[in-house]
Amino acid sequence: MAKILHVSDKHVTIYIKIRGKMQHGGKRMDKHLNSIVINNSDTIVKDWLVEVSKNRHNDYTSAISEDLFESTNREFVNVIFSSLEKQGITSELDDFSEKLINLGWPLSYLTDGLQAFRRVTINFILSQSEKVDSDHLSKVLDMVDNWVDPIINQLVNEYSGSWEHIVSLQRVALQELSAPLIPVMENITIMPLIGTIDTERAKLIMENLLEGVIKHNADVVLIDITGVPVVDTMVAHHIIQAAEAVRLIGSTCILVGIRPEIAQTIVNLGIDLGKFPTKSSLRKGFQAALEMTNRKIVHEKGSDEGIESLLDSLNGE
Amino acid sequence: MRIPILKLHNYLLISIQTDLDDKTAIQFQEDLLSKIHKSGATGVVIDLTSVDIIDSFIAKVLGDVVTMSDLMGAKVVLTGIQPAVAMTLIDLGIHLKDVQTALDLEQGLIKLRQELEE
Repeated sequence: MAKILHVSDKHVTIYIKIRGKMQHGGKRMDKHLNSIVINNSDTIVKDWLVEVSKNRHNDYTSAISEDLFESTNREFVNVIFSSLEKQGITSELDDFSEKLINLGWPLSYLTDGLQAFRRVTINFILSQSEKVDSDHLSKVLDMVDNWVDPIINQLVNEYSGSWEHIVSLQRVALQELSAPLIPVMENITIMPLIGTIDTERAKLIMENLLEGVIKHNADVVLIDITGVPVVDTMVAHHIIQAAEAVRLIGSTCILVGIRPEIAQTIVNLGIDLGKFPTKSSLRKGFQAALEMTNRKIVHEKGSDEGIESLLDSLNGE
Repeated sequence: MRIPILKLHNYLLISIQTDLDDKTAIQFQEDLLSKIHKSGATGVVIDLTSVDIIDSFIAKVLGDVVTMSDLMGAKVVLTGIQPAVAMTLIDLGIHLKDVQTALDLEQGLIKLRQELEE
């Protein structure tokens, strides 16, 4: 895209704008404006600080201490100027954004700050220029945009990159936590479920359950739904499917941890859970599982009984 | 291809080592029923450990074989159904409700003995 931006009487300057990059004559003009900004950095910084502090009281940064806010502002403005001087993204910008991300500063602080910088700089340049016509104005706007936009892009990319990273880590962590299988005893395995169950998780639960049953050679699997807040038709459907699949591979599934309100919802919704055994608590379910595997809990003789039998034997003498 | 049916005392053991196609399945059904008739077996274990795919037709045939054998006085236990197969069957809505299952051949034999003793 070639565009004639500025035509003066004495010399004709043609700005060729290719993908937002200024070339040829633009460079000279760019340098000129750049030096104006850098030489008057003190004034701009002062204006900028005033502008940024205006936002401070009515939003997110109000919780941050005065000193920290000041020093971060200083650092921020230094980073902006150093990238202006070097005409591009600097390692200082990277370091600065990384530091802010780690400290948990909001992205809006940076974007607001850069927008304020854009406003202040444009105002300053225009106030320095002798004549202001639309050509000159658009040129100045273009130029300042070319300085500020890459910085904004870079910062937004860094921030969103860090967020995406965190989200992906959390997703993995959630998946690991979502369907654990605990082999408590030979042939008895427990799967405690906590939190809401959606279709994706239900699939994961079924996979883990079946793989685990095969792996641990479990005769009985207890699915504990104490931690599942709501059991609606969909959740019940998934649980029934899992139980059926467990039966198909040759094991038995007991549903435990059915709270009174869940029992009420299940019946009110007309869900038929009659086909497989259910128990109110994990303890009862575990006892049922022991019975199924032909085992039982035997209480050892307590010390009281020992004394009683001793007394009995004494009396008998 | 015919699926071999082994006799062990009162039981018949079948280990299916290939993916079943429709023809083999029907052939297997006939073979098993005539073997039950001939041998007078009271229990059958069908081991599906090496079967990776069961479609709705095969599932129907298996269900039928179980009912038919039951009619002829032989209890059937299916063993070693793979998790993936179980999930597919459930997704297809095939629950094989009246079929006994066990984790492996050993458990299957134990289950058969329990049932026959009752």
